[in-house]
Amino acid sequence: MPFNRPRFVTGRILRNEGRGEIFYRIEATIPEPVRFVPGQFAMVSGWPGNDPLLPRPLAVFRAGGTRGKGKVEFVYKVVGRGTALLSGLHPGETLSITLPLGRGFDLDREGRTYWLVGGGVGFSSVFPAAVVLGRRRAAFEMFLGARTREHLPPREWTPGGKTPGTIHFCTEDGTAGFHGRVTDAVLERLRRLSPESASRMTILACGPREMLREIAAAAAERSVSAQVALENHMACGFGVCWGCVVSLWDGDRTAYRRVCREGPVFDAREVVW
Amino acid sequence: MVTPDLSVSLGGLRVKNPVMSASGTFGYGVEFTPFYDISRLGAVVVKGLSLAPTPGNPPGRIVETAAGMLNAIGLQNIGVERFVGDVVPRLEDAGATFVANIYGKTLEEYEAVARRLSEVPSLGAIEVNASCPNVREGGMAFGATTGGIAQLTERVRRCTGKTLWVKLSPNVTDIASIAKAAEGSGADAVSLINTIVGMAVDHRTRRPELSNVTGGLSGPAIKPVALRMVWEAAKAVRIPVIGVGGIQNAADALEFLLVGASAVQVGTANFRNPRACVDILVGIEAFFREQRIARLEEYRGGLQREKIP
Repeated sequence: MPFNRPRFVTGRILRNEGRGEIFYRIEATIPEPVRFVPGQFAMVSGWPGNDPLLPRPLAVFRAGGTRGKGKVEFVYKVVGRGTALLSGLHPGETLSITLPLGRGFDLDREGRTYWLVGGGVGFSSVFPAAVVLGRRRAAFEMFLGARTREHLPPREWTPGGKTPGTIHFCTEDGTAGFHGRVTDAVLERLRRLSPESASRMTILACGPREMLREIAAAAAERSVSAQVALENHMACGFGVCWGCVVSLWDGDRTAYRRVCREGPVFDAREVVW
Repeated sequence: MVTPDLSVSLGGLRVKNPVMSASGTFGYGVEFTPFYDISRLGAVVVKGLSLAPTPGNPPGRIVETAAGMLNAIGLQNIGVERFVGDVVPRLEDAGATFVANIYGKTLEEYEAVARRLSEVPSLGAIEVNASCPNVREGGMAFGATTGGIAQLTERVRRCTGKTLWVKLSPNVTDIASIAKAAEGSGADAVSLINTIVGMAVDHRTRRPELSNVTGGLSGPAIKPVALRMVWEAAKAVRIPVIGVGGIQNAADALEFLLVGASAVQVGTANFRNPRACVDILVGIEAFFREQRIARLEEYRGGLQREKIP
């Protein structure tokens, strides 16, 4: 039966392919299909031995399959030892996966226009939102940014063939799309937004903290609602180690909240930037 | 062969098997109900409780190290009142045997938390945290000397009729004398070890990895230290010793039982495998069946010192 509450499952790798040594896409079979909310994540490991010890949090990129045979996909960038080891795994080898975890994007409000913003590998948590919005024929645009052309998500990974959304690519060196940071592209569009459009707009963003901070500030200024998917080091991913907390506003005071449990998606106004 | 009898008495609390969670790695227990039936465990030991809710340390709380991790959470917790009001009913519903780990900045705070918890009939035992390395006051400040541990144990002992465990710090020169001090002051059992104080820095940014600078090392990296200390403590005291530190699988747990532990607590392993405790329990049962061991007592403390002929 499909599941949507956290489970610890064993996956078998179907493919684990690198794209220009920058992004990897790993697909595995799991015992049953998982239903996830875009923005939710999984804790993934698969290398032998105790070192590194902890699984790595990866956004759920895609999931499907049929009863008795689920499939799940993740996109990751090699940033340290864990992801380097992950990139060396082969089809047929096993993964340990705990999923689905955390609170994803809130896409349930009717009649809204969405801007989906992904910086760097952050596209991996906004693409699933694009898929859901596309299926629903909701109006959305996507802003994807990277340092240079090769660091943009491969075109064939981009949802939108049949979806009504528009995609704006941005590169800091100008090798593709808008010449500049994705943050600047979003800020520029926000400035031109009519107050009426602003009131119907929701931004969903995932990427470097500085990008999220600037977008959150600009969105607040224009009264645009924004949801940000945060990242942090975490040991467990399901709320028991208390290692991944961030500061959130709780009235006029602040409190530590877990990225893995109360997040990873937060209302941008709640975050103490 | 019939199911082996894994039950064991832990200073007044009889548990059906020797596998428990370690405080601070299992939340309040209920977080694990999506993964398995937590009533299968010998006991659930919950995260350290203080009198009032505690915010904990600023972010930069964990860092992975070789075969282990450092944490400096700073005992963020919901406080004893919310635990009693919100969590206890859920643990009761789950049918779990549960133990509360307690912590205070002062002796009086330890006493107040112990008194409040003594009013909870379903609570199996109180485990006094005399060993948290990540808070300035309380915790390890009491656990580092025989005088400190004796005073803390005695004071809490006087406030509660509950089974009382004292969780010991490895950051001491002689664990045997610390364990004896706890025993002599009224502890019904001791659990050890808590984390080992450690540190990690970044050579490029020239900064510590943890906001607290130092933290507690846990995971497989500390298992040999824990095993040695449990062995030393078990020889020194007559009360049960609960082995904690780096247990990842059934073999690790059995090693602790072999050197004299009456039971074990599984900690950091829960982070990478939410089913770790129950997997370890199943593994111990399978081992006893394979070895035709009918009762835990037949195996426990049976370390052979002679050379194999």
